Amino acid sequence: MSQSQKRDAPKARPVSQMSWAWLGVMPFFIFAFMFLLYPSSTIVVRTFQDAETGSFTLKNIINLMRDPYVLGAYSLSIKISIVTALGGAIFGFLLAYAAIRGGLPRFMRSSLMTFSGVASNFAGVPLAFAFIALLSPTGMLTNWLKAVGFNIYDYGFTLFKFWGLSLVYMYFQFPLMVLIITPAIDGLRREWVEASENLGATTFQYWRYVAFPILLPSLLGCTILLFGNAFGAFATAQALTGGSAMNLATIVIGAQLRGDVLGDLGLGYAVAFGMVIVMTVVMIGYSVLQRRAERWLK
Amino acid sequence: MKRGGVIWSWFWMILGILYFFLPLLATFIFSLKAVKDVYSFKAYVNVFNDPAFQLRFPASILWSVLTIIAAILIFVPTAYWVRLKVPKARPVVELITLLPFVVPAIVYVFGLVRTYSQPPLLIVNSPALLVAGYTILSMPYMYRAIDTGLRAIDVQTLTEAAQSLGAGWGTILFRVIFPNVRVSILSGAFLSFAIVMGEYTLAQYLAKPAFAPYIALLIQNKAYEPAAATIISFTLIWACMGIIQVIGGQEQSGQIAGGH
Amino acid sequence: MKHLILKNISKEYGGTTVVRDFNLEIEQGEFVSFLGPSGCGKTTTLRMVAGFEMPTTGTITMNGAEITNNPPNQRNVGMIFQAYALFPNMTVAQNIGFGLKIRKETESAIKERVDEMLALISLQKHANKYPYQLSGGQQQRVALARALANRPQVLLLDEPLSALDAKIRVSLRSEIRAIQKKMGITAIFVTHDQEEALSISDRIVVMYEGRIEQVGTPFQVYNFPETNFVANFVGTLNSAEAEVVDSAQGLLNMDGIQFKTSQEEMKGRSTGDKIRMSIRPERLSFAAELKKDNVLDCVIENITFLGSVVRIQVKIGNARFNMDTFNNPFLELPKIGDKSQVTCSQEAVLVYSGEATA
Repeated sequence: MSQSQKRDAPKARPVSQMSWAWLGVMPFFIFAFMFLLYPSSTIVVRTFQDAETGSFTLKNIINLMRDPYVLGAYSLSIKISIVTALGGAIFGFLLAYAAIRGGLPRFMRSSLMTFSGVASNFAGVPLAFAFIALLSPTGMLTNWLKAVGFNIYDYGFTLFKFWGLSLVYMYFQFPLMVLIITPAIDGLRREWVEASENLGATTFQYWRYVAFPILLPSLLGCTILLFGNAFGAFATAQALTGGSAMNLATIVIGAQLRGDVLGDLGLGYAVAFGMVIVMTVVMIGYSVLQRRAERWLK
Repeated sequence: MKRGGVIWSWFWMILGILYFFLPLLATFIFSLKAVKDVYSFKAYVNVFNDPAFQLRFPASILWSVLTIIAAILIFVPTAYWVRLKVPKARPVVELITLLPFVVPAIVYVFGLVRTYSQPPLLIVNSPALLVAGYTILSMPYMYRAIDTGLRAIDVQTLTEAAQSLGAGWGTILFRVIFPNVRVSILSGAFLSFAIVMGEYTLAQYLAKPAFAPYIALLIQNKAYEPAAATIISFTLIWACMGIIQVIGGQEQSGQIAGGH
Repeated sequence: MKHLILKNISKEYGGTTVVRDFNLEIEQGEFVSFLGPSGCGKTTTLRMVAGFEMPTTGTITMNGAEITNNPPNQRNVGMIFQAYALFPNMTVAQNIGFGLKIRKETESAIKERVDEMLALISLQKHANKYPYQLSGGQQQRVALARALANRPQVLLLDEPLSALDAKIRVSLRSEIRAIQKKMGITAIFVTHDQEEALSISDRIVVMYEGRIEQVGTPFQVYNFPETNFVANFVGTLNSAEAEVVDSAQGLLNMDGIQFKTSQEEMKGRSTGDKIRMSIRPERLSFAAELKKDNVLDCVIENITFLGSVVRIQVKIGNARFNMDTFNNPFLELPKIGDKSQVTCSQEAVLVYSGEATA
């Protein structure tokens, strides 16, 4: 026990103080156990359990690997997550950089941050409808474009398929990027530009040798987080496509919950377990890269 | 910054503004078209007069408020106690508060339903489970907001000062600590409010009345009313973010997004 | 031909003039300090030499060629920043070699020069460390090496020591001076710390509110301040209001107490002028042994021990004066409240017009 801990508990004996002190956080741990850890661990446990006998098995994982329907769902989820993570990261970064260092009036920055706070939380069902109003076959923009002789639905665009859904996901992806990349851009010190110019470097060389390498861990970390953000998204896709046109992993789990569409309870757990694994990798990757970025940007 | 750079900055900003506002504009215009050939607020009137709305919108508000109360009662004492007495618990507590990011909402509700829908744990129909679930979903924002607030004040000294003046733990917590982290609690509370009001997955699969599933239903059955409901939902989020900005007086730090 | 010439330089930002009518010629190999309080325009002037700011009027000439509007990456001046500004993603060696890499010098030439620079700053062992692994003083030495590796014409130092601890500040400033002399490079050093400027410079440019107040050697600036501002800003100073009672004799009256000053100080003054009278603390001494032109009755008010110096506050009439005396173990200090006499020569009494500034 450290000095400071002893100091704030003058009346009690240190040893008993320690055990009583842990009691203070028990409500939290009990709550977290009941409503987070236990339900989550159910998924893990039942993934490795035979649905009938309850004995340990790898059958569910093997079935998952063999099921083309489930694999297709994962692959679609991963594809849309990669596309929208990259798109959101690039666009979000350019926006944030423009607002912070682009020589724009100061109020642009705070406006962008407010918009981003709103947009990154404006997701799910209402978001889906907003894009239906904009880009469905009778949507506002569709009609405008039709009026100038350009019908996007003639060119293979559909709001309810991959690229349409990607466009909708971008609505919460790029604002999230703006919010999480901002500290990194703020961390780019002005003296670095000046020091590199002073040493003879052009703007391009500054970006190539200094700014980009410094930002790279942050950019990668944020892109990974955006990937996870899209990967776990469910309500938006469900509301937009009614859960039929786009078989994402989350949609499969939703359908499995409504009724055992996979015809195999154990497989349902395995699909959910797989998502948790992917998200865990995402969060670990994010925090590792974030720590690396902070070391430089302090 | 060179002149060309500024032009590019404006270019990206305008593109961002269009991306942000066009869907909202389309929705808004659409919401005004309920009566043929004139703009009207008929769709909004219809929504407000819909008995389903009158049940589900207040229900969502109730869930939000209960969630916020539960979150404050659980997380403030915990965060305070961890800072003051059991710093060793800190890494574990922080890890747990970040776990909801690892478990997507649909996976989480899958776990909840499967865990609590068979005896002896048959509580899947209890509204308390929904509130508990929302409290878990709001945990990363709430706990972090509170913990950041506590970091800004000197918990140790404040507690010692209160103790030396003869205050008990209840007085310390409610009269000293709560008021000092009020701004952080409020920011976290409004963020949680915005998230719960727009939350679809938990309410849908725990079969409880709520606003987002109601909009989903409207989308399937009506044309103009879902537009009105979308605008209402958007206005709510905007109001919450606006309030957070005003009370916080500064930019929100990076929020990792909610239940999509 | 002078190495660096700044002629009629001024700089405005949106109607506010931050530097005005700045004229300065610097010799090859000279070490010049810009000294002044924050906001006096010293950093802006330095940044104009570096090319980060463009002067509103005037020209900058280096080696006979005008560089007023050259972009910073085509000037070949080396800049040292207050906050080091090392590239955090590069090792010490990569930082030092950055400018050479930009110039597309060969690997071996870069390596040779980097090793030479590392030896110069005695950080050979740290070549492969990253900046965040170094102390502030080490980082600033790397920044120095990085600036010098390019063989710049002029070295510009923008408050390079301000972020460092007091001890490192002193040792690094002598190191900077030694390296500058060894390489014979022209240097401009911006600082708000008068002690720093006095100790390191060949010449000091004292600036205030965008203007040059005085240019001179540290000796001149300290001993013969030309303006009231310089007198107050450089060194500590006792200052009091007084009136000239006899300009021919150099007699001043401060609240009924008479001071004698030199003829030099009385130039352009006439009897009856209200003036400010200033005396450096070290010019005052107790009158017990050697009495000089001015002998003044005083009361000891306070004694402050500053290490090598003991500062004694005395009250002469209604005015308080500081008197500095060297410390030694056998020093017999008076007691507070004692009556005593202090003395100073007439040359020690400086005369300025107007109100006190600093």
